[in-house]
Amino acid sequence: MSQWLTEVIESASATSDFLAPVRKKALSSLEQAGWPGRRNEAWRFTPLTSVEKRTVKAAAEVPAQDAPAIDGLSAYELIFVDGQLTSDTAQLDLPAGVTVAAFDKLDATQQDAVSSLYGQVKPQRHVFGLVNDVASAQGIFIDIAPGIKLDKVIRVTNLVTQDVDAHTRVVARIGEGASARIFEHAEGQASSMSTAFAEYAIGDNAHLEHYRFAMMTGAAKQVGGSHFKLGNASTLNSTVVGYGSELSRLDVDIIHAGEYADAKMNAVYLLAEGELFDLHSNIEHTMPNGTTEENARGIVGDRARAVFNGRIHIHRDAQKTLAELNNRNLLLSRRGLINTKPELEIYADDVKCAHGATVAEIDDEALFYLLTRGIPRSKALVMLNFGFIQELVNQIPETSIRDWLLPKLSERFATMEVK
Amino acid sequence: MLKIKNLHASVEDKAIIKGLDLEINPGEVHAIMGPNGAGKSTLGYVLSGRDGYEVSEGQVELEGNDLLDMEVEERAQAGLFLAFQYPVEIPGVSNMEFMKESVNAIREQQGEELLTAADFLKKAKAACKQVQLPLDFLKRGVNEGFSGGEKKRNEIMQMILLEPKLAILDESDSGLDVDALQVVADGVNSQRDGKRSFIVVTHYQRLLDYIKPDFVHILADGKIVKSGDASLAMEVEKSGYSFLGKKYEEAEA
Repeated sequence: MSQWLTEVIESASATSDFLAPVRKKALSSLEQAGWPGRRNEAWRFTPLTSVEKRTVKAAAEVPAQDAPAIDGLSAYELIFVDGQLTSDTAQLDLPAGVTVAAFDKLDATQQDAVSSLYGQVKPQRHVFGLVNDVASAQGIFIDIAPGIKLDKVIRVTNLVTQDVDAHTRVVARIGEGASARIFEHAEGQASSMSTAFAEYAIGDNAHLEHYRFAMMTGAAKQVGGSHFKLGNASTLNSTVVGYGSELSRLDVDIIHAGEYADAKMNAVYLLAEGELFDLHSNIEHTMPNGTTEENARGIVGDRARAVFNGRIHIHRDAQKTLAELNNRNLLLSRRGLINTKPELEIYADDVKCAHGATVAEIDDEALFYLLTRGIPRSKALVMLNFGFIQELVNQIPETSIRDWLLPKLSERFATMEVK
Repeated sequence: MLKIKNLHASVEDKAIIKGLDLEINPGEVHAIMGPNGAGKSTLGYVLSGRDGYEVSEGQVELEGNDLLDMEVEERAQAGLFLAFQYPVEIPGVSNMEFMKESVNAIREQQGEELLTAADFLKKAKAACKQVQLPLDFLKRGVNEGFSGGEKKRNEIMQMILLEPKLAILDESDSGLDVDALQVVADGVNSQRDGKRSFIVVTHYQRLLDYIKPDFVHILADGKIVKSGDASLAMEVEKSGYSFLGKKYEEAEA
């Protein structure tokens, strides 16, 4: 057992809040789970040595911080700094039918709702997910009542500024026929260990436009996940952006729990020198007539490592499913490494599914084309590599987020040497 | 403008160009015709510097400078333009972004002031209109999802924007209907200013109805075997390449 995990379990055993019963159950699973070694398939390419011997560190004081400004974004802003919710949710001026509140501010009915949702949309019980189940003292409940069309984005920012352990949680319920846009965003480069998980129960005919940007860098260690359960004819459009850091792992689970649900997920990751980013996606089609389209593209620089594991699981009853998963990667250097594994598991006989993964270097023909137009080789390489992910970024529906993201990615890319 | 002397070039050790001589003066339009496999496209690739096309012998000068000694992008910056027979699709890189980089890279090299985004947009819109491409093509990925005709018109639009000294059109007529052919030809003709030169590589005479060449050359087995004026193209149209011998008649058939 790792020292860090032992300490997490000890401190979690002492917590008591309205979630105590569900936390207790998760704690028991955690105690049995043990520390995942390299033989554990889910962590095979993602070493955990930097966390294993870590000592748990609580934040003594958190500095006041604003979320990074995004021009033109109209949002309800929520911010966690070093794991502490520093926003006053009472000041949000929310429309009727919308609840956004910290776990410790919920009334009895809301507590019951969170208790019944907590851990229910998150199928993978890996150690860090369980750690978050038992240790996320700071959490937010987002509840959109049936039929509500929320005009502003709800933005949840996680900032890490110092060497602490931080565990945050979002539990969201999008009511029948409602629609919302939710943006989970993490930044920071301080040596730290954070987990951030979010669960979304999306009702029948509801729509969620979702963003998860895991943009921590440097010595930050972050493990997180966004998990979705889709009702009948509901739609999800999710965009994931991943940077690398000392340890950066993100899980995305989408469960088609209703018929005719439609999920789209685009992911881009851009890893600079020596960084690691691990994206695990898992799509569960349990009901008929669902559709999934997943596109993940990554650029991996010198000595950086990317791990992509994309699983689509078509259950026996999920007839007429259409599912596609595509992972494409570009290596900027022979010293970079990409482990990609698309998995398709099909138990229904009337489905259309496809998956593919590529790891490639730059297309010589496209490079030649740009050069014949007088564009210098170094600039042409940047255009081609960046164009590869820009294609997905251009599909981001919220223009303010897209316009904010593109130059950030471009700047990051400019620091990466094409060899 | 361009002097090619005794050019020999090969692809994967197979000799394709075998002693080609050609001289083009400023303002001239030279058509190069020839049967399949004669080396027409290879000539365009060799002149533009594509990897894998090895020059084993000969010299090529553009305005007195050794073209073969330059990198691909330097050749473009020196004023050489190749309109591709099969332009590549580059998703994610917008036509606009690509062309702005291209125009300014060439202007920078030639010591001219760089175009601002607004000035570039103005020129790009005019060029788009000239080749009858809708303006939204500027926002789309380079050649992404364009039809064959749209790709060719996009090539001509690039040529108009880049104002090259020597443009090589590699079978720009292939796959075009008459209307698109007219647009491509009008684009080329609009650039004929008495100084700019063109090499029009074509398999058929019909493009030359619209772009009147000053000279026509027949390329066969890696060298120019016959040269003449525009009437030579008419002769090819009428009798094919029979004058080259039985081997080429069969190849064409």
